[in-house]
Amino acid sequence: MDQTIMSARTFAGPHQRRRGSRHHRRCAALSIAGALAAVSGMAPAGAGSAAVAPYHGGTAHSTGTGYWTPNSARTFPRLVEYPDATGTIAVLNADGPTATRGNPFFTALGTNGRACVTCHQPDDGMSVSVATIRARWRATGGRDPLFAAIDGSNCPSLPQNLRKSHSLLLHHGLFRIARPWPPRDPDGRVITPQFTIQVVRDPTGCNLDPKYGLYSRHPMISVFRRPRPAANLKYVTAVGFTFDPKDGLPLPIDPETGLRMSGNILADARAGTLKAQVLDAMRTHLQVRGNPNPADVAKVIAFESSLYTAQIADRVGGSLTADGATGGPEALATGKPGELNSPQHPQWSEFFAWARKNRARPSATPAERAFRASVLRGIELFTKKTFLVRDSAGLNSMNFGNPVRNTCNFCHNMNRTGMDVAPGQVDIGTTNEPRADPQPGLPLFKLTCAPQFPPQPFLGRVVYTHDPGYALTTGKCADIGKITIQSLRGLAARPPYFSNGSAPTIRAVVDFYNRRYRIGLTEREKRDLTNFLSVL
Amino acid sequence: MNLPRPHDPRKRHGIALIAGAVFASVVPTFANTPTKPPIRAAPVTFVSCPIYRDTDQGPKSGCWLADDYATGVRYDIGQGRTKPQVGRMVLVEGIPAPAPNLCGGAVLKPVHTSPLASTCPAVILPAENFPGRPFVLRLDHVLPPADVVRPLPQGPFANKRWAIEFDYRSDFLAYQYSEVILDAIARYVRASHPIEVRVEGYAATRPYVVSGMRLVEPPQLAEDRADRVARALRRLGVDRKIMRVRSSVNPRPAAIDDGLAQPSLRRVTIRVELARNRPER
Ligand code: HEC
Ligand code: HEC
Repeated sequence: MDQTIMSARTFAGPHQRRRGSRHHRRCAALSIAGALAAVSGMAPAGAGSAAVAPYHGGTAHSTGTGYWTPNSARTFPRLVEYPDATGTIAVLNADGPTATRGNPFFTALGTNGRACVTCHQPDDGMSVSVATIRARWRATGGRDPLFAAIDGSNCPSLPQNLRKSHSLLLHHGLFRIARPWPPRDPDGRVITPQFTIQVVRDPTGCNLDPKYGLYSRHPMISVFRRPRPAANLKYVTAVGFTFDPKDGLPLPIDPETGLRMSGNILADARAGTLKAQVLDAMRTHLQVRGNPNPADVAKVIAFESSLYTAQIADRVGGSLTADGATGGPEALATGKPGELNSPQHPQWSEFFAWARKNRARPSATPAERAFRASVLRGIELFTKKTFLVRDSAGLNSMNFGNPVRNTCNFCHNMNRTGMDVAPGQVDIGTTNEPRADPQPGLPLFKLTCAPQFPPQPFLGRVVYTHDPGYALTTGKCADIGKITIQSLRGLAARPPYFSNGSAPTIRAVVDFYNRRYRIGLTEREKRDLTNFLSVL
Repeated sequence: MNLPRPHDPRKRHGIALIAGAVFASVVPTFANTPTKPPIRAAPVTFVSCPIYRDTDQGPKSGCWLADDYATGVRYDIGQGRTKPQVGRMVLVEGIPAPAPNLCGGAVLKPVHTSPLASTCPAVILPAENFPGRPFVLRLDHVLPPADVVRPLPQGPFANKRWAIEFDYRSDFLAYQYSEVILDAIARYVRASHPIEVRVEGYAATRPYVVSGMRLVEPPQLAEDRADRVARALRRLGVDRKIMRVRSSVNPRPAAIDDGLAQPSLRRVTIRVELARNRPER
């Protein structure tokens, strides 16, 4: 096993200074102070740059101060770090320190007091964790714009002062995504869906709501999803390969720019470009009335495109940039997007340097060494351990066949982020019955495919689902329950996982796959995979 | 028929070899027509319930088997461009090849397998003592990454044509096959500035019976296939103004790829015309 890793030593990055665990305890202390400041409702101006310390050749960086509220006057430094479940998450702002005042990403542009940063928080790897959401509820008595009725509650028609009206957000970190039904194509033409939708269960009340529901004047289907990180976006938009094998067509071209679109944005790929995504976010999450200001849109795209996030230290394993490893966001900023893993460019070579016999490393403790060895075994499992991928629409339905023996990186194949180089809409069973984990709090829909169209390839003509995913964009039966593969970076900072938040921990993700594809992982293998995913 | 036992690469199954039987019977040729006709046995065609044998020789290895119920012969059908689906009947069209029995069946190569709509039990067998074979990707079937700079084809240019085959009753452009041909066409068009690109779709609309099952493709499929190819070419930058998209039914077989007659009926042909009024080949 280890031989493969050993032979790939040329992929190790430059030796970098090791940063000890004492430093990270200090981060934690500062962060608590920051959280307390946030409780008082006023993040102190400039607090983000309070602790400036030399970093990797003297660049200023900052340790965390907790929640970033909209409209505050702070400086977003070149690098921020925050403690998370297993170590430290870092966000790199490649354009250098940025004033938040006047930056539309941090500005409440709409009517509900929210900014992009409300749901894309630096201390949560540019997503927002359940822990942060609950802390905001406690700190503001539920009055933070985060909980805005439109999508921060189970349904806008519910009494907003009640905790239980926000249960999906408070318990699973889920925001309501309301998709117009039937969908429209990018040119605004109505798509005739291949299936009908019936609401089987509606615990939020929103799908049968007279104003917001499926049978209202403007029919909507409400699904509930986790925020995907607003960072590492050059990987999200990268076109490493011009053909989408799951769709059987070359990737479409954005008429505005003439550039090919990656198909990897948002769980249901409803936005082909970052611009379309920002416009959608402004109109829905921020409730901007009328047409958003084009200058704001451009600035938001420029800012979010300069952000890179990744775990930078592990509580047990120490610095992830030590001893030649190139974890952390710097390598993401300089790395090539859209690169498919291959024998020449193996995946997760960021950590291969740890496999070298390094006698000049007296500083690594035995615990650190053991952890690093576990991470390397986790990489080996992720990239080499094969299992039968079965009944997964998107992959098994194209010419690979069903089943097909492969690895985690069959789907998660892009170097540095583990996204899918060809767009990644796949049904792994997170949202469709009977494979989805029970989630009584989520709505359930019964989709019935019309006889003249091909059915969902593995679930047939009648599918019960929490979230039809990609089919909400295409209207096709074949796409029911397909969800776009997300970036695997910064996982430790943003539980829960999967688009519907069904996996509360990284370990639960590993358990899901072990169950779903009967991988037969041993306890040690599960730990190794979990450790590896936690350092991304 | 005597089937060889596993691990006996020397043994051959007893099917007579007929040189070029399929190849010789077919007309026109395409840019992706093989240069010399291979030695061939008589083709076999049947419908069956596919069986997956879980041999492990790395990613995408694993064996596919299917029994021809008329003869009782178990075939190894795993070397086609579309792999079968357990739980769904499969149409098998192939030619027995003198190859070692690594999976537990007589090897069909070339072989086309098309998943059918009708269901059957999903059967997965253990490897038992069959080694299976590793998945080998033919380099001429892969498109290079998007950022690889490739010089356009150099002239002098001539009228040229290509063909893309489809699975039975499908207009899906198969991966690690279609995109390479589409890319070659788009690049040829970019380099040669043709006056017309003719896209013609076909469907096997003449009914035929295989394993007691009546197989026939709807005429609409010829149009759908042509539209799909035209759409793909547009996305690759071929101007819709120079494209002429047509469809026709009851085609004659053509020599494409491996030269199997029946799959060649399910094709789209693409002709790049550099000047008007040239006689049809
Ligand atoms: C109310 C919370 C909320 C706010 C405010 C918000 N987002 Fe999001 N964001 C989400 C959710 C939820 C998703 C995932 C939606 C989905 O997959 O359908 C998401 C997804 C994204 C993505 C896609 C990333 C990927 O990998 O697919 C980007 C980029 C993004 N948001 C940027 C922004 C920007 C820019 C703004 C401000 C204009 C913004 N968001 C405001 C909740 C929010
Ligand atoms: C058949 C394709 C496929 C395979 C194989 C696969 N994944 Fe995934 N993965 C997906 C899809 C699709 C999603 C998104 C699902 C969702 O959000 O509902 C995903 C999501 C994830 C996420 C969650 C990311 C987040 O931000 O919430 C993790 C972690 C992950 N996969 C790890 C793995 C591991 C570990 C393996 C191997 C054991 C693996 N995957 C194998 C397709 C695959």
